[in-house]
Amino acid sequence: MEAKYNFADRFGDQVLRCSKCGLCQAVCPVFGAMLRPSYSARGKMLILKEVMDGTIELSDELIETLFQCTICKSCFENCPSGVDVPEIIRQTRRDMVQIGSCHPAFEGMNEVLKNHTNIYAEDEPEDFERERNKKAKYVYFIGCVGSYREDEATMSTLDLLDRLKVDYTLIDEVCCSGVLEDLGYQINERLARKNIDLILATGAKAVITGCPYCSRTFNSKPQYAELNDKGIKIIHVTQFLKGMDFGVKTDKLVTYHDPCDLGRHCGIYEEPREIVRKIAPRFVELRHNRVDALCCGAGGGVRGAYPKNSIAMARRRLQEVEEVGADVVLTECNSCVHNLSNAKLRKQKFRIYNISQFINELMEGTE
Amino acid sequence: MDETVKKALLDIVREENFSDSLIDLISDSYDASEHKHRPDVAVWPQNTEQVSAILKLANEYKVPVTPRGAGTSLSGTTVPVQGGIVLDMLRMDKILEIRVEDRLVVVEPGVVYDQLEKALDSYGFFFPPDPASGVVSTLGGNVAVNAGGLKGVKYGTTKDYVLGLEVVLANGSVLRTGSRCMKCVSGYDLTKLFVGSEGTLGVITEITLKVNPKPPAIATCTAYFDDMADAGSAISETMRSGILPRTLEFLDDQCIVALNQGTDLNLPEVAAMVLAETDGFTQEGADYEMDKVIEVFERNNARGITRAYSPEEAEHLWTARKSFGGVITRLKNNFIVDDTTVPISKLPEMLTGVKAISKRYNVPIATMGHLGDGNLHPNILYDGIDPEEIARVRKATADIFKLGLELGGTLTGEHGIGLAKAEFMPLEHDEVAMEVMRSIKRLFDPNNILNPGKMGLEV
Amino acid sequence: MEIRGYNMPEDLYYEQNHFWVRDEGDVLVMGMDDFAQILAGEIVYVQLPEEGKILKAGKRFAKMESGKWLGKVYAPVNGELVAVNEELETNPGLINDDCYGKGWMYKIKPEDKGELDNLMHTHEELDTWLAEDIEKYVKE
Repeated sequence: MEAKYNFADRFGDQVLRCSKCGLCQAVCPVFGAMLRPSYSARGKMLILKEVMDGTIELSDELIETLFQCTICKSCFENCPSGVDVPEIIRQTRRDMVQIGSCHPAFEGMNEVLKNHTNIYAEDEPEDFERERNKKAKYVYFIGCVGSYREDEATMSTLDLLDRLKVDYTLIDEVCCSGVLEDLGYQINERLARKNIDLILATGAKAVITGCPYCSRTFNSKPQYAELNDKGIKIIHVTQFLKGMDFGVKTDKLVTYHDPCDLGRHCGIYEEPREIVRKIAPRFVELRHNRVDALCCGAGGGVRGAYPKNSIAMARRRLQEVEEVGADVVLTECNSCVHNLSNAKLRKQKFRIYNISQFINELMEGTE
Repeated sequence: MDETVKKALLDIVREENFSDSLIDLISDSYDASEHKHRPDVAVWPQNTEQVSAILKLANEYKVPVTPRGAGTSLSGTTVPVQGGIVLDMLRMDKILEIRVEDRLVVVEPGVVYDQLEKALDSYGFFFPPDPASGVVSTLGGNVAVNAGGLKGVKYGTTKDYVLGLEVVLANGSVLRTGSRCMKCVSGYDLTKLFVGSEGTLGVITEITLKVNPKPPAIATCTAYFDDMADAGSAISETMRSGILPRTLEFLDDQCIVALNQGTDLNLPEVAAMVLAETDGFTQEGADYEMDKVIEVFERNNARGITRAYSPEEAEHLWTARKSFGGVITRLKNNFIVDDTTVPISKLPEMLTGVKAISKRYNVPIATMGHLGDGNLHPNILYDGIDPEEIARVRKATADIFKLGLELGGTLTGEHGIGLAKAEFMPLEHDEVAMEVMRSIKRLFDPNNILNPGKMGLEV
Repeated sequence: MEIRGYNMPEDLYYEQNHFWVRDEGDVLVMGMDDFAQILAGEIVYVQLPEEGKILKAGKRFAKMESGKWLGKVYAPVNGELVAVNEELETNPGLINDDCYGKGWMYKIKPEDKGELDNLMHTHEELDTWLAEDIEKYVKE
């Protein structure tokens, strides 16, 4: 019998395989912060099971849980039955969009990207006091959060690249629009085209990006295949900085937060740590690290659609920083920096930086 | 549900702790068993006063109340079969006191087992029961079903550690039981009545638990057996060999087949695999006991005995046992896991009997378990599409219960009766016992609002 | 008083980015006005800098966010930040609930209270200003 919805077609067997054990509750950041069974991976699968057996239909009533998932993959990594909840959620969101049932923030984001260059509908990017669209060996692609929400961190990273005498250029970048694929929509072809054209025009051999989401999008989405086809490498800034010597150290107690998009999604755990250990001999791991890292709560569109819950999740992660007594939390994802910084309480005296930003501050002597 | 009741609930817990949304009603219909039923409303109380007000209200309007922790019950204990209110205790999640000088902790029911273990670690103490669901299950749930666990062989189960409780009764009054002393025989032992009562006599709102100093030394080994009866004897002999291991786990040939299919462990396809662990305050002590275990195993034709000489090696030996949960659903889509428990000396007979039942009904059964305390976990595997197959599964399940009871055992060693075993209660408890239990239920809950429909106590 | 449908109390001074200032003698209290809090939607984050920070009139000294908007907070006068509303750390929505009362944001020790004259205060000033901003920002 034909499944009524695509998610049932493609993933029905996995949905049925959920044995309801509830172990995902131990790792799901949304459940962990909100303590609401409907938010966990199990809750979502139980709801989809009832859709599959016809007890209920996909509808607006399901938005609150189906669109509240950071796609962090922790559930999948811990599921004894191997249910790929993130993929199922992505497909279910597409099915929901098709029937016209979507979270207004996500619908809004899709509309905004039809008419603007970035997810915030801002018209004026920071100029970062640098020329754009020059000819150079590397393109530095900032990403929307870095351009419009974490401009200080971005400025610092660019200053670092200058110190290291990297031959790079900024471009009049537009949103990679990779996020739309997680929200039930598709990459915006017009924006993808613009980015590709701008990158190609610089003659660069590689694109360095601070945002692991952008690098993942450029590397794996067919709309950006032309870049790979033309031999242009896409690397995250930690991969670029690995192996370099900076000649600075800090004696502060430093820890590292694995961004989901760099860690669980790309398997990049050690490169950032190599860099951090070089500049911070006093390094301590957070209780949940590497594949077990606790999501900061910003991903999967959750920061845009459910900001209060998103910040509550970030607060939970920061408790782990308090636990190890770190003075500094380093990561390399503007979205993580943004959400964690918003969540940090005044009484928490540690500082939050991107690795590249922190290295620059050390070199500047201002940290 | 009466709108008056909903409004009154909203007044008690406020909007952010109340839901009648479809998504919550669906999620709260289920636990980790095969049972399901929709509630009318879900509430998350923050404190005892709210629980008291909710029960008073529910009692007045005769609305069923089903308490819920992590919802990981394997018996349907927390499925709201008569609708009504799901009382989600997760937001009462504070560790109130840790007093190692009095060897106790006081916790709210929503505290996750693992949360307590981590808090106790820095004091050099631990809470022994160690249920396999400990990463998510809550202490309220552990107490309500008297949960067992991996260390039951040496350390007993949850009931052995509950010093006292605060319980809200059906009429909203708040009862304190037990004491903060290591020993107390003053008045009736009401604590023991509530432990394992599966939410049918009252709602637990505070728990005082005894904790133990944590033995730092461990010894671990695994062994293979070509004959399942040998494995059974090895285990029962170990238990009378003059030492007390802390863990004695068993995996049968079906489990091994499943593990080999679902992982790259490449275990030898033998009849049974046993894992034993001893602990002590000195390594000599732990090793002495492990030596005895291995002697017994060797006497019972064990082969391939592997002993761990470091924490990493021990972790490696545990991989098979810990991975089993992950591979069951690769064999068949569905499974029912039971926890029929028999006297230790009856283990060989029980194991052979379960094999015969599997053959009789042509239903694969992968048996594992905490055999050190006679607690089997037969996993009955099925696809769940063919009603004929489901009928055979039901018969096999019933036969396993009957066999266990015939051997002087019990329907459930640690998962509780809930819904799953309710119909079999009269097979284990005679009419005198059943009537006493019903009378107790009527005394505590004359309107039958507390987790109704469970434990087979409905007349 | 109500101006064009927005609550804009008379006794306050208004900075063009929609922050109000109240004279409390030694100290000025600052917050966000009704027009801005409605336009922004539910506030989810307010930056609360350390006390003692020196403020320069017209310069940004903090930022705040709603779900869809990032706002820059500019100092209305020269002075020193002497207090912040710590309630906003865990309950930034107070700005939406009660922007002139419980939702106050910062307290400033001004260098020269005379600088308040640079802010808008009269009914006509507020009316003209709101008319312009409604035109600019409020979508149909």
